[in-house]
Amino acid sequence: MVVLGAGPGGSTFGKKAAAAGMKVLVLDKKKEIGTPVRCGEGIAEHSEAELGIKVLPNAIASTIDGARVFAPNGKTIRLKTPSTRGYVLERKLFDKHLAMDAVRAGAHVLPHTLAASLIKKDGKPAGVKAVHMGEEIEFRAPLVVSAEGMEAKIAREAGFDAKATLYDVDTCFEYEMAGVPCEPYIDLYFSTRIANRGYVWIFPKGKDVANVGIGIGGNVNQNPKVQLDLFISEHPELFKRAQPVEYKGGIISVGAPINEFVKDNFMVIGTAAHQVDPIHGGGIGLAIEAGNLAAESAVEAFKKGDYSKKNLLPYEEKWRKQTGPKLAKRLMLRKVLEKLSDDDWNHIVGSINEADLDKVLSGDYKPVVAKVLITRPTLLKVLGVLTGI
Amino acid sequence: MVQKFSLDSSKCIYCAGCVSVCPVLALTLNETKILCDEGKCIACGTCEKGCPVAAIKITKP
Repeated sequence: MVVLGAGPGGSTFGKKAAAAGMKVLVLDKKKEIGTPVRCGEGIAEHSEAELGIKVLPNAIASTIDGARVFAPNGKTIRLKTPSTRGYVLERKLFDKHLAMDAVRAGAHVLPHTLAASLIKKDGKPAGVKAVHMGEEIEFRAPLVVSAEGMEAKIAREAGFDAKATLYDVDTCFEYEMAGVPCEPYIDLYFSTRIANRGYVWIFPKGKDVANVGIGIGGNVNQNPKVQLDLFISEHPELFKRAQPVEYKGGIISVGAPINEFVKDNFMVIGTAAHQVDPIHGGGIGLAIEAGNLAAESAVEAFKKGDYSKKNLLPYEEKWRKQTGPKLAKRLMLRKVLEKLSDDDWNHIVGSINEADLDKVLSGDYKPVVAKVLITRPTLLKVLGVLTGI
Repeated sequence: MVQKFSLDSSKCIYCAGCVSVCPVLALTLNETKILCDEGKCIACGTCEKGCPVAAIKITKP
């Protein structure tokens, strides 16, 4: 089969499918897998056990103890629990390592290869036409797997509704900066004035190096780069000596997953299927999870010699059962948070504590909403939906 | 004929954000270059609004 995209999802799928004896080719349009980075590069430590991966030491830029949320007025809540431990990765190495693992399992990998269009036979997907080193090549395969990321071009050509609307994306811009004093926390700065419908993040990659980024609602009339530069100019205590060493950016889904992940002879996994956390826009772990689940179903289909939808469907059913509800709750939270004013943020951050923030992040909204409403009952109309009132 | 899609490549960080929000699959990222199929482009301006570095200008025909 042919897998489109050697990101975390595509390589995970390739590894697992090849290990089961399937003939797998993973294409990537980039000449260098893992570039350009379009991401904050954070991943939770507990993901390793959950996903059955081991991040190699040289792909870990720094280890993280927890997170800090900053209100517009500077008030902070710090959250440090075993489950907030994590890594800031070197994605360039992390993605390459996963592709190397796929090769070790027997997969073929071909970078610098742009999938141009879908090949159909009897109306069903039967491979892709691609361009590699000036040559047009037809890769015929009974199963095409889109791990294309946000662009999802071949998936969309195959009829999947993977188009991203401005309402359901954040547009992001990020500098990797040296000369930033760092502590082992992921810092999130909320402010509608700076980042309407999003936030500014500082993810340390070392003692004095950090990813400093901003995500803003795609339908909001603020330019991410302009707003990030404004934030930096307002925080000389952090950025007086800081200089960028890399520019990064991108658009990420913060909406719902697409409405179907499989059709006959075709599967969509990871960010291409909008399997992304709507609160923080993270998708590395979700892509690996989907790569594993999809490969399990593909291997079963391979054994039956039949890649029709009904044989691929267990991946989608399992995903929607084990991960769908969690992300749906996060989406509900995102839609509430984006209605808050800076004054609301100041009030909320000032009235909840670390344990409350932990509850919110684990999906237990009710007691925290109740606490906030005691001192600001007018927030009921915004927060009420989180409690089912 | 007026070109609908124009890109300032000195601003572009080739993130392909524009490709993902294009409703008609008119855009392609090939390594560091964004290519527009002018025949498909409907000049809706979604890519211009979504570009994180304001590198795109859409001209209505």
